[in-house]
Amino acid sequence: MTTTYRSRSSWDRGGRRLGRAMIAVPAVLLAALIFGPLIYSIVLSLYKWQITDINSGKAFTGLSNYVQLFTDPKVLNAVGNTLLYVVGSVGVELVLGFIIASALFDLTKGRRLANSLILLPMIIAPVITALIWRYMLDPQFGLVSQVLALIGINGGVAFFGSSNLALPSLMLVDIWQWTPFVVLILHAGMLGISEEQFEAARIDGAGRLRILRSIVLPGIAPQILLVLLFRTMDTYRIFDTVFVLTRGGPGISTETIGLYTYQTGFSFFNLGYAMALGVFILVTVAIISGFYLRLLRRREVFQ
Amino acid sequence: MTSSAVAKRKRRPRDAWVIACYVVIAIFLIWVLVPVVTVAINSFKMPSAIFTSTPQLIFTPTLQNYAKVFGELNFAEYLGNSVVVAVGSTALSLVFGVPFAYALARLPIRGREWWARLILFSRMVPAVALVVPMFVLFDQLHLTGTYASLILAHTSFNLPIVIWLMRSFFEELPPELEEAALVDGAGRFGAFWRVAVPLTTPGMAATAVLCVIFSWNEFLFALVLSNQDTETVPVGVSSFIGSVSIDWGGSSAAAIVAIIPIFILGFAAQRFLVRGLTFGGVKG
Repeated sequence: MTTTYRSRSSWDRGGRRLGRAMIAVPAVLLAALIFGPLIYSIVLSLYKWQITDINSGKAFTGLSNYVQLFTDPKVLNAVGNTLLYVVGSVGVELVLGFIIASALFDLTKGRRLANSLILLPMIIAPVITALIWRYMLDPQFGLVSQVLALIGINGGVAFFGSSNLALPSLMLVDIWQWTPFVVLILHAGMLGISEEQFEAARIDGAGRLRILRSIVLPGIAPQILLVLLFRTMDTYRIFDTVFVLTRGGPGISTETIGLYTYQTGFSFFNLGYAMALGVFILVTVAIISGFYLRLLRRREVFQ
Repeated sequence: MTSSAVAKRKRRPRDAWVIACYVVIAIFLIWVLVPVVTVAINSFKMPSAIFTSTPQLIFTPTLQNYAKVFGELNFAEYLGNSVVVAVGSTALSLVFGVPFAYALARLPIRGREWWARLILFSRMVPAVALVVPMFVLFDQLHLTGTYASLILAHTSFNLPIVIWLMRSFFEELPPELEEAALVDGAGRFGAFWRVAVPLTTPGMAATAVLCVIFSWNEFLFALVLSNQDTETVPVGVSSFIGSVSIDWGGSSAAAIVAIIPIFILGFAAQRFLVRGLTFGGVKG
């Protein structure tokens, strides 16, 4: 599209000048808001620095924050919890999302209505979602406990109060909020598969399940990758619901890497170490998303 | 709905498979809706009706919780703060993002590919990696706790969204319209301002709605950078939950008050929601 302009040299000078002007100011803003702070935090991660003496007391300590990072058992615990959370949530969301998107695709009526209702959870603030589920899973008065009591499980299960159940309960909240997102994306992918392919499969006598496996699944491969990219990245940095519902507890059983970074900076006031943790998250996110983006580019998404 | 979809529909008989699909969707909708509906119902209940060990469906509705939210809990202030921050960061992101997007889509600029990758990368930057240095920098500028710091922090995620989405809207315009304006002597800026911008108004409105939603829902920056006078809705709600004896009626009403504006906006921008959430990866 742009080549139509590029070839006409009489417009080029004005276009180039306007282009530079339109890029320059936002670029400064981006640099100030994102890239500046990131570089700043890379530099500051080499210092020992407490929030309590924010205006003085900086001591250059080289890579010591990073050495601490790789030997800190709480980092290991947080990374383990985070990976468990990512794999558990994203795995269930993908499988459930595929089943529900397939069902939605085969509805004869009411698809639009179902579509509108489904998107409800994902536009709610994660903090509000946390509140809703704090209520649903309350051991005494929550709807889930009340239903469990009806089928004979009395006494109330402390979903967020038990170190075995807290992390799965947080995953449940994620699955509730974000499965709709997976459904909508996969459904959009299914709508993009050409009718001829279904027709050909049906003529060959393929059954419903066979069509799902041989036509739908390969047909929505780019959308599956897209779901994996966004859900992996967003679950990896999970903070809001963990902060509100468990604060990492009981003990450190639900402490995620995002929460641990926050607490290091704003509860333990260790800014230098918090920035090193932030850099660690940034680098790992860049590696993961770079991997997915490469795969997506090959399928001509995000050109 | 396209004609092929209609044709597809007609060929499908009402068989066991389709019925199974309806059952799956019905169960999923119940799972999606019940938690929200429960909280909505509870927001109209007296505490005595909430604290029961069996679900109570018949009760005398009360507005007491809502009165409390706007009275004692001072929720109007949180709402006001959220509006200021959401509108501020959306406006800032549009003013700077739309020209950038246009340059990326249409103008002969150097390093187009490089800029595009930079914008894509900035969407991937985790807030938790950004919030610590941002806090320190704003603190040194004596800006922590101000609306300005929150608006700027929210612009850090809204600006890349505006650039990326608006670029795709500009690219979808047929270039002939701007070319005609150039032939008429409008100049490159005239073609942008008087042709491209008015033609992408619907896309711009959708983008604005998405920015408002993202800002309205954002928690981490708001938690770290706000003070008592600038706390946004999620920060306010989180403080209700944090307390030991949680006020269920009050916080349910607060949740509903916080959700309603987002529902209205979300359904208005429904067609573009997936596009925005996937950073344009799904056109929808």
